[in-house]
Amino acid sequence: MTDDQYRREYAHHLIEQVNKGRMTRRQLLVRASIFGFSATAAGSLLAACGGGSTASSPAAIASATPAPKAGGTLRISSPDSLIALDPVTMNDAGGPVQIQQVCEYLVWAENDQTLRPVLAESWRSDKTAEVWTFKLRQGVKFNDGSPFGADDVVATFDRLTDPKSGSSALSVLGGILSPGGTQKVDDATVAFNLDAPFADFPALVSSSNYNAVILPRNYSGEFLKTPVGTGPFTLTKHTAKQNSTFAKNPNYWQKGLPYFDGLVFKFAADDAAASLALQAGEVDMQCQTPFQGSQALFLDPKLNIAEVPSTGLREVFMRVDKGPLSDKRVRQAVAYCIDRPAIIQALFDGRATIGNDTVFSSLYPNSPKLPQRAQDYAKAKQLLTDAGHPDGLALHLTTMNFLEVPQYAQLIKAQCKPAGIKVNIDMIEYSAFFAGDPAPWLSVPMGITDWTFRPTPIQFVMAMLLTTSVWNSSHSSNAEYDKLAAQYAATVDEATRMPIATKMATIENDETPHMLSFFITQLSARVKNLYGVHGINIYLDLSKAYLA
Amino acid sequence: MTRLILRRLLLMVPTLLLVSLLIFMLSEILPGDVARTILGQYATPEQVQALNTEMGADKPIVERYAAWLGHFVTGNWGTSPITDLKVAPQVVDALGNSLLLAGLALVVIIPLSILLGVLAGLRKDSLLDRGITISTLSLTVIPEFVSGVILLVIFAVTLKWLPVQALAPPGSSLPTRLYYLILPAIPLMFIELGYIARMARVGTVEVLARPYIRTAVLKGLPRRRVVFGHVLRNAMVPTVTVIGSQIGWLVGGLVVVETLFGYPGIGKLLVDAAKTHDVLVLEAGVLLVAVIYMLSNLTADVIVALLDPRARQRA
Repeated sequence: MTDDQYRREYAHHLIEQVNKGRMTRRQLLVRASIFGFSATAAGSLLAACGGGSTASSPAAIASATPAPKAGGTLRISSPDSLIALDPVTMNDAGGPVQIQQVCEYLVWAENDQTLRPVLAESWRSDKTAEVWTFKLRQGVKFNDGSPFGADDVVATFDRLTDPKSGSSALSVLGGILSPGGTQKVDDATVAFNLDAPFADFPALVSSSNYNAVILPRNYSGEFLKTPVGTGPFTLTKHTAKQNSTFAKNPNYWQKGLPYFDGLVFKFAADDAAASLALQAGEVDMQCQTPFQGSQALFLDPKLNIAEVPSTGLREVFMRVDKGPLSDKRVRQAVAYCIDRPAIIQALFDGRATIGNDTVFSSLYPNSPKLPQRAQDYAKAKQLLTDAGHPDGLALHLTTMNFLEVPQYAQLIKAQCKPAGIKVNIDMIEYSAFFAGDPAPWLSVPMGITDWTFRPTPIQFVMAMLLTTSVWNSSHSSNAEYDKLAAQYAATVDEATRMPIATKMATIENDETPHMLSFFITQLSARVKNLYGVHGINIYLDLSKAYLA
Repeated sequence: MTRLILRRLLLMVPTLLLVSLLIFMLSEILPGDVARTILGQYATPEQVQALNTEMGADKPIVERYAAWLGHFVTGNWGTSPITDLKVAPQVVDALGNSLLLAGLALVVIIPLSILLGVLAGLRKDSLLDRGITISTLSLTVIPEFVSGVILLVIFAVTLKWLPVQALAPPGSSLPTRLYYLILPAIPLMFIELGYIARMARVGTVEVLARPYIRTAVLKGLPRRRVVFGHVLRNAMVPTVTVIGSQIGWLVGGLVVVETLFGYPGIGKLLVDAAKTHDVLVLEAGVLLVAVIYMLSNLTADVIVALLDPRARQRA
């Protein structure tokens, strides 16, 4: 079968899934974007499904926003990168948002998990999802005048997958793409030969893998000296811990863009300081607004709060191999003590998505539907009695002083108490939680870790739940689960994939290596007349942004 | 006098050596390491180990300290492995910023607190004394992050008279830079004012009770001459010592104010360096602050010696 035939069949398969009610129209859009169908093509697939129109047509959105206006400078409040600004090694909240103004990805992951082509024009996989071929955009130039082509993409991914690069991208691509696996087909085509089939591969080379910006083949390794990229802006000045200024790239490949003449990133070391600067009108937007302590911003009539439900989470992990928690009934008992809606209300005033102790968040298009776990003290006590703790037991919860995590720990403690589970909390500094060998977050019996969002659930699975996972805080090891995960990763067909996902989520929920009671909603405070911002938190595409 | 100054300057050398050794050892105890900071929390232990070896961070502490010291005393302060920035300009710029802020605060604090303290002391137990003591003490106990936020909300957010961020745009003139520093200087004034005024008041009260003051009054000296010639000069001795000891904090300890007002001073720089295990920056910064601290104490002692001939002789 040729690739084109295969794509036609896949398109047909998607339409069938929607018509049979196995997939929603939004899920079709997400899956189609992963498989490299253009927006128009995906639109015609939707049309082929028949029935009602899409929820919010582009025309309806357009009438509500004023016409784009060119010019002006956007002032952004963001944390600075604690380490030197560098696309390959950046690993904190300050780096990516600055780099993304100068450099671009093959693919941009939108807030709703759809993928938008940027430096890649289109992509497709072979039938087994083992070889992915990306067509590159032609006529794009780096801001130093050199042309962009396949050699740059090959060099970029060979660099990121090299263990010596020290790049966080390894945590995303490791075991899937190896150095040398990226191949130039011709100047405008690149093939990724994967180590194992991976049906969600385009998500891994998208902006969600924030180190994966395309750098020139002869990248110097020192970004601040030669800030080269294809992006809408150029870096004019970076003063560590103070600010960064950017100017419009006059030769940007998207004609007429960006609208802004320049950008200023002002680094705020403190949330209160950032929030005051917004209120005083000294900055126009904040990349990420924490829920705690931002009430004044929510009430400010000059500001809008962009709210984006995400799959970011707080993992309450419980070690399955040590102490009383090694009995799954004890872990389940803890999970049955938790009143999830009450926690979401208390921590976020309702702004979060409820979780069901599985990384298959309901926000993912193909997430399995399991009965929602809810607070049930009778069941929790029964489980404890069965496990040999009729009089309850004491647990030790270690976590870090970060955002709402201390309050979350207190709520867990309070809600566990009626079932006879006494939770002792050990609160340590953020850096101490992740430091040392073994670091507390990978060794304590029970703890809470923050995880940023991932565009596909399999990324969480591979990072935290497999026997081979590097960040397996719960020390889970389940041969059947590992096998299912490998099958899931390699399965292209949605109909085959759904039952695998359901089996995986059922095992995860039943084994309860961790409690995931909510998924974080990302917030970003912006002045009301700012439009066209794509992304949130550490992802920021300002090429189409303007003040009107 | 010259001998006193020379001896004190010489004594600074072993003190600084001891401080530098302590910093080196303390940064060993801090959780985490350089490579972990650079690579991020999700790097594997193997990657961290490899980078630590590459940077020489796994060599014995004595060896690393000796190497650092050799470079430092020959003026080679190096480049931070974390931020990739040269250490010397980074630390010197931050110290300059801090000195400017501390200077602005001190220019107001010193005359004002002495004036208030002496006035209160001269009119001990009067309504004026009570008023000054209670109001300055109340201001002193407000933590700077509380007064700072309140001032910001009133003067920057609501009235918009003063900027939120304390850093003037690059290339600004000195008056502009000082204008940006008015808001962050006020919480410092609040804290120091009560403290120094109290010292000046106690000094004045004590001196007033001395027999020689009674003699001066009884021999018919005008009150003005008694106050300026005898009281003030002697009452200033403890006050000057306290001011000298506060300068170290005003220069190197303003982490909270610098963070709140987004001001790149040396306090914030040192906290960041400690967090990221940036020993080069930490050492250089702490040593510079220590020098400022010792110099301001020395200056205070010299002034005390000038005020008090007995102190001069003891020296």
